[in-house]
Amino acid sequence: MFSWFKRKEKSAKVAKNRLKIAIMSDRNETDIPFLDDLKRDIVEIIRKYKDVSNIEIKKVNDSISIEVDLG
Amino acid sequence: MSKIIAVISGKGGVGKTTTTANVGLGIALNRKQCVVVDFDIGQRNLDMILGLENRVVYDMVQVMDGEATLDQALIKSKASRNLSFLPASQTKDKSVLESEKIGKMLSELKEKFEYVLLDAPAGIESGFEHTIEFADTALIVVNPEVSSIRDSDRAIGILDAKSQKAISGEDVEKLLLINRFDADMVDRGEMLTTEDILDILSIELVGVAPEDRGVIDASNQGQPIILNEKSDAGKAYKRIAKRLTGEKSPIIEPKAKGNGIISKLKGMFS
Repeated sequence: MFSWFKRKEKSAKVAKNRLKIAIMSDRNETDIPFLDDLKRDIVEIIRKYKDVSNIEIKKVNDSISIEVDLG
Repeated sequence: MSKIIAVISGKGGVGKTTTTANVGLGIALNRKQCVVVDFDIGQRNLDMILGLENRVVYDMVQVMDGEATLDQALIKSKASRNLSFLPASQTKDKSVLESEKIGKMLSELKEKFEYVLLDAPAGIESGFEHTIEFADTALIVVNPEVSSIRDSDRAIGILDAKSQKAISGEDVEKLLLINRFDADMVDRGEMLTTEDILDILSIELVGVAPEDRGVIDASNQGQPIILNEKSDAGKAYKRIAKRLTGEKSPIIEPKAKGNGIISKLKGMFS
């Protein structure tokens, strides 16, 4: 209820945080141009065994991590 | 040794052409032989900013195709005899560009001039790629604003992947120019600071030019703002031109003028 006392976060700070994340993901995608195709293939293979919808594939430093949510 | 400097940004409308015109003229006013080349085929604009639109006879594409010589196509600036200008073609489109022909033309320009500035088209398509292909240095122009910063990072990525220097394992020099900086907004926390931008892009800073209403007035008249001794943006471009030619010149960040009542009162008594 005292939320109006809280100072609103400065928009420049918000911009910086959003940019850092967006640029990091842009850079990752340009590093591995085949990442999208790879994602599609991996999803297909996994679905042969189990019908899952949450599969996260991302580049971490110099490796690709695949996380499959079996829940 | 001559140097090819590609002026790039990724996003359009950040002041690439204004920067090319002013920094090019600044280099020329520092008594160096300089040429500015409009690489924005189909959207010729540098001629207007330089006030040379009525002198255009031949363009860069005609030079590359052997329909005109370089000397026929080059236009001398009215403001400095050390500055020449090579116009873009207005009628053709960027598909006419071929690496081999560009390389030949640029090496001819390098023989005549110490500094060859290329005004890149907006975007990161083929026209952009041809502009960075033979660059020794890239002058990256950004505004302190999210879309400009993000697009510039993509442009830098392509520079690092596709320029000939990068391909042969050499470093392409990358220099950041922050344009249209509004110190009052930065003061209020409404605009990214210079440090923020450097932290995100991690390239070397060459200068910060303030937002300046005079820039439009200057382009209306075809008189680059660097010729206006009183303009803050003009002074910033002068310092940047000096740094580009290897002279020492400090990076001065624009100061807030302030719109609040306190700073207005301060202004009255200062």
